[in-house]
Amino acid sequence: MQKSLIIPAALLVLIVALLPTMAVVNYSFQTPYGEPNEFVGFDNYRKILHDSRWWDAFKRNLIFSIIVILIEIPLGLGLALLLYKKGKINGVISTVIVLPVLLPWVTVGLMWRLMCRSAGPITTFFNFFNFDYNIFLSSTHAFWTIVLMDVWHWTSIVFIVLLAGLVGMRRAPILAAKTEGASRWRIFRYIQLPALKFPLIFLILIRFMDSFKIYDEVNILTAGGPGLSTEFLTMYVKRLALDQWILGPGAAASLFYLFTVLVVCISLMLVLTKGEGLI
Amino acid sequence: MRKKILIAKYLFLVAVILVFIFPIYFMFVTSLSTKAEIEIGALIPHKLYLKNWSSILRGYWGLAIRNSLIISVLCIVFTLVVSFPAAYVFSRHKFMADKHLFFWLLTNRMAPPVVFVIGFLIMFRAYGLWDTIPGVVLAYSLFNIPIAIWLLDSFMKDIPKELDNAAFLDGYSLWGYFRRIFIPLNAPGIATTSFFVWIFSWTEMFIASVITSVGAKPITVQLLITMGRVGYGVEYGLAASAGVITIIPGLVLVYWAKKYIAKGFTLGRM
Repeated sequence: MQKSLIIPAALLVLIVALLPTMAVVNYSFQTPYGEPNEFVGFDNYRKILHDSRWWDAFKRNLIFSIIVILIEIPLGLGLALLLYKKGKINGVISTVIVLPVLLPWVTVGLMWRLMCRSAGPITTFFNFFNFDYNIFLSSTHAFWTIVLMDVWHWTSIVFIVLLAGLVGMRRAPILAAKTEGASRWRIFRYIQLPALKFPLIFLILIRFMDSFKIYDEVNILTAGGPGLSTEFLTMYVKRLALDQWILGPGAAASLFYLFTVLVVCISLMLVLTKGEGLI
Repeated sequence: MRKKILIAKYLFLVAVILVFIFPIYFMFVTSLSTKAEIEIGALIPHKLYLKNWSSILRGYWGLAIRNSLIISVLCIVFTLVVSFPAAYVFSRHKFMADKHLFFWLLTNRMAPPVVFVIGFLIMFRAYGLWDTIPGVVLAYSLFNIPIAIWLLDSFMKDIPKELDNAAFLDGYSLWGYFRRIFIPLNAPGIATTSFFVWIFSWTEMFIASVITSVGAKPITVQLLITMGRVGYGVEYGLAASAGVITIIPGLVLVYWAKKYIAKGFTLGRM
């Protein structure tokens, strides 16, 4: 009897998740522009697989995700290790570091756009060293600025989750190791790091998922430019399916996208937990 | 030697703080600057210029702010009403599928919203939900409800099951038990959940940019549109003041929320 309380939530999520997905699957097998609807088999999928723009966005997004994970996880871990001990100063500093997590992604893009435009402080800074910095002309500058922005935005989540892990850890083993004369490095390596295994796996997964669907910040900072040089996957699919209204291939691309994310996440999870799963 | 390390550590931390605060500071300064000051990228405004702020609270900006507030509040109420009973069931009964459900929830978080958004657009156009606030709330609930259930469940597990049984023996109905005992006991869980639902709904931009146009457009989308008008010069001052408005709730709540963020982002697993 009580179990029926679950029905409204289950039904709602099912409808809101399933109906749109079905519509997308449906469109992915039809003629590109919808009307008249004809079944075209896997044509749309083939079109996407032969689209170099798709593959460019795909590679760019994958490289981007790997880079930000490689930077953010060690950086967040380092900050958490510096600040996990109780104290007023540490509390204030960690509050400041947490802040970016709570800001809208668009607003983060806006802040960086303000700083990176031709009169902005970052450009002025680089110009001072005679370095010709311009994210609207150089695709390398644009890409690395986006990396920097993402590090600014999301190192915070790595930091706060690991901080919670370190603070919640039992003190006894660490104290015991200290009285035995263990070095800080050995305490970290053999006591703290193993205890952070689960949060670290979770963070790698979360950071992969989120960076692989980055859209808002990039859209406002460079709008995919210069040219198409910072076009990431969500932007590619959105432009194809919703701006140009080429629904068939757009739907096929979005399903490819979903499939890639699922495959990468599941294999990451299995590899990192050695097949145990997350619970 | 020890002292030197300590000094280096604090110098490093000061640098970290500056790096984290500067972008926010600069946006704030830009929102208080005149057009001329913005053009040279002034780091300190000459005097407080409030015109950006007065125009941001009126017209379509005002409407967008209002929409954002309504959407966020409705999302919290709607999500809680639907998720609370479901979370109760999860915390009190063992399900065969617990593990699979957790995984499914995770896939919900993995899935790029662009997949759903194409479907939302088609569906909402057909049922008259496009560009309406209920439509936005419904679309967001896809992401809000799973997270809410999981967070509430992780809080409810700390309340012993014996309490339920004792209350039922004393003649409480399920609803009476909820109202008198269970909901008050879960206040921290409800607060945390509301906070996370609010974060998602208040900061979301991508889905809203597709399924709204005028009537239900939130401030985040308005911000994107303003920044996209390259042709006749972007109004950085206006955009910056809108940006400041979008971060006010975060600034106000960050100190309180710090404790719960780790829990929320790991879906109650930590």
